[in-house]
Amino acid sequence: MPESLLDGGNGLMYGRKTAISQRNLVVICPRHVRCGVLIVALPAVPLSPAELIRVSRLTKTYGQVLALDDVGFSLRPGEILGLIGPNGAGKTTIFECLARLLPFDSGTIVAAEGVTWFYVPDGISPWPQETVRWALDFSVGFFGGRAQDRDAAIAALSLTPLLDVRIGALSKGQRKRAMLGIGLASPAPILLVDEPFEGLDLRQTREIVRALRAEVARGRTLLLSIHQIADAARVCDRFVLLSNGRVRGEGTLDELRAIDAGAFATAPLEEVFLALT
Amino acid sequence: MRSPSASPAEARSAKAFRWLLRKEWRELTRARAWWAMLALVGPLVGVSFINAVRTYGEASAGAATGGGEAFSPLDGVWSPTFSAYELIAIFLLPFVAIRLMTADRQSGALKLELQRPISPFARVGAKAIVLLGGWIAAGAAAIAAGVLWASYGGHTYAPELAAVVLGHLLNAALTIGLAAAAATVTEHPSTAAIATLGVTIGTWAVSFIAAVQGGVWETIAGYTPMAMVSMFQHGLVRADVVLIALALAATGFGVAGIWIEIGKSIQTRLVRTAALAGTAALAVTIASFVRPSWDLSENRRNSFSESDEAALRHLPGRLQMEVHLAQRDPRRFDLEVHALAKLRRVRPDVEVTYIARTSIGLFEQADPGYGEIRYNMNGRQAVSRVTTAEGVLETIYDLAGVTVPADNEAPYKGYPLTARPAGAPLIFYVLWPVLTAALGIAINRRTR
Repeated sequence: MPESLLDGGNGLMYGRKTAISQRNLVVICPRHVRCGVLIVALPAVPLSPAELIRVSRLTKTYGQVLALDDVGFSLRPGEILGLIGPNGAGKTTIFECLARLLPFDSGTIVAAEGVTWFYVPDGISPWPQETVRWALDFSVGFFGGRAQDRDAAIAALSLTPLLDVRIGALSKGQRKRAMLGIGLASPAPILLVDEPFEGLDLRQTREIVRALRAEVARGRTLLLSIHQIADAARVCDRFVLLSNGRVRGEGTLDELRAIDAGAFATAPLEEVFLALT
Repeated sequence: MRSPSASPAEARSAKAFRWLLRKEWRELTRARAWWAMLALVGPLVGVSFINAVRTYGEASAGAATGGGEAFSPLDGVWSPTFSAYELIAIFLLPFVAIRLMTADRQSGALKLELQRPISPFARVGAKAIVLLGGWIAAGAAAIAAGVLWASYGGHTYAPELAAVVLGHLLNAALTIGLAAAAATVTEHPSTAAIATLGVTIGTWAVSFIAAVQGGVWETIAGYTPMAMVSMFQHGLVRADVVLIALALAATGFGVAGIWIEIGKSIQTRLVRTAALAGTAALAVTIASFVRPSWDLSENRRNSFSESDEAALRHLPGRLQMEVHLAQRDPRRFDLEVHALAKLRRVRPDVEVTYIARTSIGLFEQADPGYGEIRYNMNGRQAVSRVTTAEGVLETIYDLAGVTVPADNEAPYKGYPLTARPAGAPLIFYVLWPVLTAALGIAINRRTR
């Protein structure tokens, strides 16, 4: 499968398949990033047909604080993968590195050729003076989406009553739905959604779960960050358990349980998470 | 419009850019900062115009017995009227620009918009185009002044007015470029505002130092926005000044384009900024050697007569002048403004050296050579103390052995006009703010 390689924001690692055709990935030691010294080139493992994106050895520091420590996981076609972890685990940092909104210190993000993704951040209030209708129209026009996807998103997320309301005047939950609408209206086959259930009540959460499931049924792949484990268990197919910037486990609930079959044989996700982190 | 040869990717990029332009224009017309600026433009231009017309009229009445040639609408009306835009460019426009540049980052919209692969310079370019469009819209007050002036029977010479407009457009571009750079490099809009005003105050400091120290400071001060605007307000368009202003504005937008990419590391952005600064410094240095200039003033206030210019162009050899006048001696100012500035436009090769022990020259008056201007051309030398344009020309012609050319140009007659600024207070102080407020409310309601 053709692949592309993202850079770490320092301009040294950017390239498409030709850059990694010799199966070499450039890895930069975090401690040497500032002086730009390349210290080692490691062999890269090519993407398997079952992978859309592979994140390997992703490391990110904010000053002296290590936010991501050697993070690695894969995203598979047509799944809902949940990045699970408490606040501060590094979920948003991973998303922003993936969306190239944040430079990372070292590591690689390898994606199948032609695959694009769209990141829906949490806690933003874009174009606050504009209405939801305008924001959706702009998203379709600017990102090259289709009008029918926008209309489908409006229907799936029950956005019709909000269309003529200014984004700045929306409640937290309404804004979350509007943001999801922008994401669903985008043409990207992969959606990265940061905290999709934040600020939603139980009924709204169920509606969103249904809408996200419907998107997957239509061929989309989702990567969600969720700090409420019960919500994650309700919607995700597989999980990446994060704690203090490190991946503590990756797989389906059964695969995670199998890490210690004796202890977690029938344990719910909360128990598995607490035990592994 | 999509050209037949445009690839699908190019067409998509063009479409995205149009959406961006549309979005930025909506952002601008939603911003109270812009409407506040627009509302203030009318009264500020109005007070300048009304006072200028009143003074021009009073002086014209006093000149009924002669001296009409002193009355140039450029100096009497347009320069003071447009000086309001200089104030607005310093104190209001930066805030409008910073508001537009930082709005996306403040609201989080930038995190969405950056996911559309489009050149960062196109992103900043869309904002710059919209801001310049907003500035041009603010020019409606000047158009109102023009219409009123014409209704009073006032004369307007289009080329000199065009020079003034060009100067203020370039000044706005510089201001927007600077504000754009400050807004993207700094973390917060208030820091950006302080940085922008700091640079403006810095240019004033350069002008002050130049007035005292002279030398290289004087050269640098010649390219500050204040000096640039002043030059254009006198109807003089210098290619070097235009190119340097464009280069500096482009540098500001370039810096903004580099720093808007929040996904790049600080190190990468710093390296790119340094490379851009180096390129800009090179471009500015090269541009400073560009000589063409155009005197668009109707009374040719920046030029010798055409016959004098023709004679000066054909003088053999290189002229060297040694001027024994201190930096702050008023005679040096007269010499520079009335003679040397005009001489340099015709003969860029003229070499002028200033010699003085102090900057004020107060205690040098008794020195034997103080006040002398020593000329040297092809080994022939002359000494004079005359600082007027006529005196300098006469000395040069004597030195070159050239007969003084006959001046066949029709003298500038001037346009005295004893008009009162009728209707202007109503338009600028009442109608303008009311209409601006009404338009602002209407546009925001309609697009909501």
